[in-house]
Amino acid sequence: MDEPIRLHRPIPRNDARPKACGREVYAVDRYPNNALLAGALRCGVAAGRIRDIDIRQASAVPGVFRILTASDVPGSNRQGIIHKDMPVLCENIVRYCGDPVALVLAESSESLQQALSRIQIDIEPLPAVCSLEQALASGASLVHDDRPGNLLAHALIQKGDATTAFATCDAVVEGSFSTPVQDHAFLETESGIARMEEDGGLLMEVSTQSPFRDRFEIAHALGLDFQKIRIVAPALGGGFGGKDGATVQCLLALAALHSNGRWVRMHWSREEHFVAGYKRHACRMHYRLGAKADGTLVALDTRLWYDTGAYAHLGAEVMELGMEHAAGPYRIPNTRIEGWCVHTNQPVAGAMRAFGVCQVTFGIESMMDMLAERLKMDPLTLRIRNALCKGDENGAGVRLETSTGIRDCLERIQDHPLWRQRTEWKDAAPRFRRRGVGVVGVWNAAGYGGGVRDAAIAKIELLLDGTFLVHNAVSDMGQGNSCAFFQIAGHILNQDPGRIHVRQPDTRSAYPSGSSSAGRTTYTYGRALIEACERMKARLINRAGLILFLQDDDGLELEPGRVVHKPSGRKVPLKALAGLMQPEERVILSETVAPTCKNVPATATGFFIGFPHVIFAYGAHLVRIEIDERTGEITIVNYLAVTDGGRVLNPTMFEQQVQGGVAQGLGYALMEDLVVRDGRVLTQDFTTYLIPGSLDVPDIVSIAVEDHPEESGPFGMKGIGEVAMNGPLPAVANAVWDACGIRIRQGPITAERVWSEMP
Amino acid sequence: MRAIFIPESIEEALSIRNAYPQALWMAGGTDLLVQLRVRVHPEDDRPLILLERVASLARIDIHEDEICIGSCISFNQIASDPLLTAEVPVLTQAASTVGGPALRNMATIGGNVCTASPGGDSLPALYVLDASVELVSTSGTRRLPLSEFLTGPRKTALLPDELLTSIVIPRRRPLWTLQRYEKIGKRKALAIAVASMAAVIRTDAACGIVEEAHFAWGSVGPTVIRCPPAEEALIGRPLTQDALRSAAQIVPSWVHPIDDIRASAEYRRTVGPRLLLRLLDP
Amino acid sequence: MSRDHQATIRFMLNGEPTECTCPPDMRVIDLLREAMGLTGTKEGCGTGECGACTILLDGIPRLSCLMVAAQLHERRIETVEGIERSAEGRKLVDAFVEHGAVQCGFCTPAMEMTALALLRSRNPLDRKAIRAALSGNLCRCTGYVKIVDAVERAAAEPLS
Repeated sequence: MDEPIRLHRPIPRNDARPKACGREVYAVDRYPNNALLAGALRCGVAAGRIRDIDIRQASAVPGVFRILTASDVPGSNRQGIIHKDMPVLCENIVRYCGDPVALVLAESSESLQQALSRIQIDIEPLPAVCSLEQALASGASLVHDDRPGNLLAHALIQKGDATTAFATCDAVVEGSFSTPVQDHAFLETESGIARMEEDGGLLMEVSTQSPFRDRFEIAHALGLDFQKIRIVAPALGGGFGGKDGATVQCLLALAALHSNGRWVRMHWSREEHFVAGYKRHACRMHYRLGAKADGTLVALDTRLWYDTGAYAHLGAEVMELGMEHAAGPYRIPNTRIEGWCVHTNQPVAGAMRAFGVCQVTFGIESMMDMLAERLKMDPLTLRIRNALCKGDENGAGVRLETSTGIRDCLERIQDHPLWRQRTEWKDAAPRFRRRGVGVVGVWNAAGYGGGVRDAAIAKIELLLDGTFLVHNAVSDMGQGNSCAFFQIAGHILNQDPGRIHVRQPDTRSAYPSGSSSAGRTTYTYGRALIEACERMKARLINRAGLILFLQDDDGLELEPGRVVHKPSGRKVPLKALAGLMQPEERVILSETVAPTCKNVPATATGFFIGFPHVIFAYGAHLVRIEIDERTGEITIVNYLAVTDGGRVLNPTMFEQQVQGGVAQGLGYALMEDLVVRDGRVLTQDFTTYLIPGSLDVPDIVSIAVEDHPEESGPFGMKGIGEVAMNGPLPAVANAVWDACGIRIRQGPITAERVWSEMP
Repeated sequence: MRAIFIPESIEEALSIRNAYPQALWMAGGTDLLVQLRVRVHPEDDRPLILLERVASLARIDIHEDEICIGSCISFNQIASDPLLTAEVPVLTQAASTVGGPALRNMATIGGNVCTASPGGDSLPALYVLDASVELVSTSGTRRLPLSEFLTGPRKTALLPDELLTSIVIPRRRPLWTLQRYEKIGKRKALAIAVASMAAVIRTDAACGIVEEAHFAWGSVGPTVIRCPPAEEALIGRPLTQDALRSAAQIVPSWVHPIDDIRASAEYRRTVGPRLLLRLLDP
Repeated sequence: MSRDHQATIRFMLNGEPTECTCPPDMRVIDLLREAMGLTGTKEGCGTGECGACTILLDGIPRLSCLMVAAQLHERRIETVEGIERSAEGRKLVDAFVEHGAVQCGFCTPAMEMTALALLRSRNPLDRKAIRAALSGNLCRCTGYVKIVDAVERAAAEPLS
């Protein structure tokens, strides 16, 4: 008998072997027989009015099946998670270079490419606003006529009286910062297949983080009945937020409506991904931070401008989450945080890992070091002195009543040799090299936040062969939530790995459980799954007792593959039990709604949804860098990330999230920068948009602080998928300061930026 | 669809080329197939002549006074060749910075030379080694110094009926005392040079005085940039940091960098020359 | 090879003699994935910059997005689908599974093929050498640490 699966142990992921042997089938791996290929023509200009689309030449290309334009779109022709403002195919106005104007269905990729190149589009250019400054200038042209000032949202958080409190400070520091557009750069670009079924329904297999919401997006945009749309979400080749929201979905569905029942396949090239995929918001920030001479923080005033691009997506929510985190994981009695979410004619900014937060972390963590410098104080001591504790109010005025381990994280850094031996290490720098050490405190909320139902419905099924099937409903984009479910089910049901299966989301057999995002996947679905498994366990014991004619359930235990009556040693195999149970008996559904804040402070105005959050993951990061003073080149020598994620369900997967988040953060810190000029994306491939390779990141050390279990989380956990992303940019910036006294205020921190600031 | 030809000899390759004058030479394909990915004209069906199975292009021949590197020798073959590593490490260092490992198994030195990118990694190294190219056509064979072969960014003196068959490097006795390839990229691998520099220096064995020096820079001009005054500035001086610094100060007025997505012209102009200061790094 | 629209190409694929008829200029990645159904080899960029399409040709890592089908003729090709056929391959898969080197898994097959060639080279391997060997294979999930761990452990373990 194999060992039962246990929690809190580094067991191998259940999906690792099929992936390692190339057997896992991703959406992009689906090549149905006789499928048509669909491809969108992107407008290629920042702003314009469509005068004419001539498809005659393109239609004559051999192998072209159909060419569709906006007039072929039934329904509203609008998609968007909250604001339905993004056309499936543009009717007359185009708002950024990736806006689609026509959709070609063809028999082969050659025919598709030829047809796309032969569609004649006549677009009258309109004045474009391609930066925050242009969009906010008086008299600026409007990206959307119904959004005056190009504002998607404008909000304010006020706690205490920051304006007055600054006068009581002994030290006040001030600074402006900006961050670049980051691309998710998942390796599997946007893709999927779809067709109309004989019963009139639409079937789609797609690389998506939000299969249940996709039904509504498609239904709304194309005027279909959402109940007739079935979405299957196989394993994703990465997501990071970029597959939260419709990418290929509505285009594919539109194509399927016109394919005479044939399968249609859509797979964006890397170039199309860079042009048309969602991005992380560029952000400009202005910060003032004041403290007493002993380092006690007193007041914060922050203004934030998020560039949300051409369409709304989750732009307002991204900005609001940034505002909620703008004060960092610190106790600041007086805060004033104002945010503007601004439309420009740039690519659409949407959700990306640590959305809104990694921007402001650069701001506040740079400010903390500047303040420490002003106060002649050690930057780590300053952070420890002000670190939030359970019971404190955070910068948004929310009293923290959940797991709060930031102080412990910072203290672990303080005790670590990489910190304690920093002076000796720096002094040993070779000629022409300067060494620096940077530290930061980070946090990131988990869950959707106030005003949004954060819920899940778990389903577990006893199969006829006596094994169990978990019907996962939240996509696994690689973060490993399906393995967490595998572990939770195995642990509660006391089963070995061979007896637990996990099926990836299918809207026909699973139940709505929200998107794979916001560090909520394991937390929310896991809560529901625990109860489903407990009830399944109780039911199996009950049915075994029935078969064994026992007067009650005493002495019955669930073991791998069977129920055993311990006193007598009698056993009932699960296969036998399954055979005796009715189909509906073999399925348990259980639902949960995540806890919400019961005492919402009256600090926030202008927020639509998503405020406030109640559960946060915390961390403290340390980086050691070496700078070549001749060229400004930076080498990351060591990286240490201490993380409070409550109790750890699987130490290996915990490290995966931390190391992966840090690496993505190091890309953001050092090199990632999506450049758009004159409405054209200049970084359309991996030679110009760079992400870190194996030589750019060190052996990232991850330490988990497990002393603060989250009582509401499955087995004490809280989501940590995002928090690690926040550290690297400010940590590297602080290390650059430590190495050579240069304060970098604009990311990414390239060699050229360091060089240009060098005295 | 394109026709593909896979000749097994130079003669066969040239005769195919004569039959299909529009055909494209393909060595490793790592530049060509990327360029053809987005077809300028959808109807482009120019045939490809794959050179990978022409045995005489895939050899490194060591002669008494020169080394002939076949044009289809890959960068990985160069980087791992013991004799080249001993005799022309500036080239093997450059070869080992091209792309990533799998790309280096495909990309060839002949392809790199013919692509003639201002940032081609092998080019500065070949310049300082005084390399020539051997060009063969049905009407004969000719040799050109590399500096004459490369006529501009992505431009060469290759005639339509010619094939670049080998890169010829004269052997030096005694060997250069110091050979170094330095590159600034935007990451540690898979990086196109923001600026690069190849240097070879010969010093007097007894007193360490510089007797001869060649420097060449990549990515700081339309093609490889040499700077004879910087070389001369070192002659007769011991190889010290001060000497290198004064040589480096001469270089900025000789380079003609551009602004692009990777770096500004100003950055390239400043830090390219400073790569000289790395020659004494361990 | 001629100007025929279709060419017959013969090669050894994961140890099996294979013949296929296809346009000679078809990209190898498309031949493997679309024509032959071997979807373990992935395409991440199509321009040779991410390494996700790495296969072994005569034992050497190559990028299948920058190769045409005709190049396979009379060569020996290995893809991830054959990785469990060799003791080294099994060792590598086990190490990737056990040491947490797999997250989304999209870069994994190519990482393994690159690592397989490295293990077979029998060169002494430290972490720096492993990182250098993997430097052409991008991964967006792991931060590389556990991939390097896995290759290091696989290299250190004797073949079972």
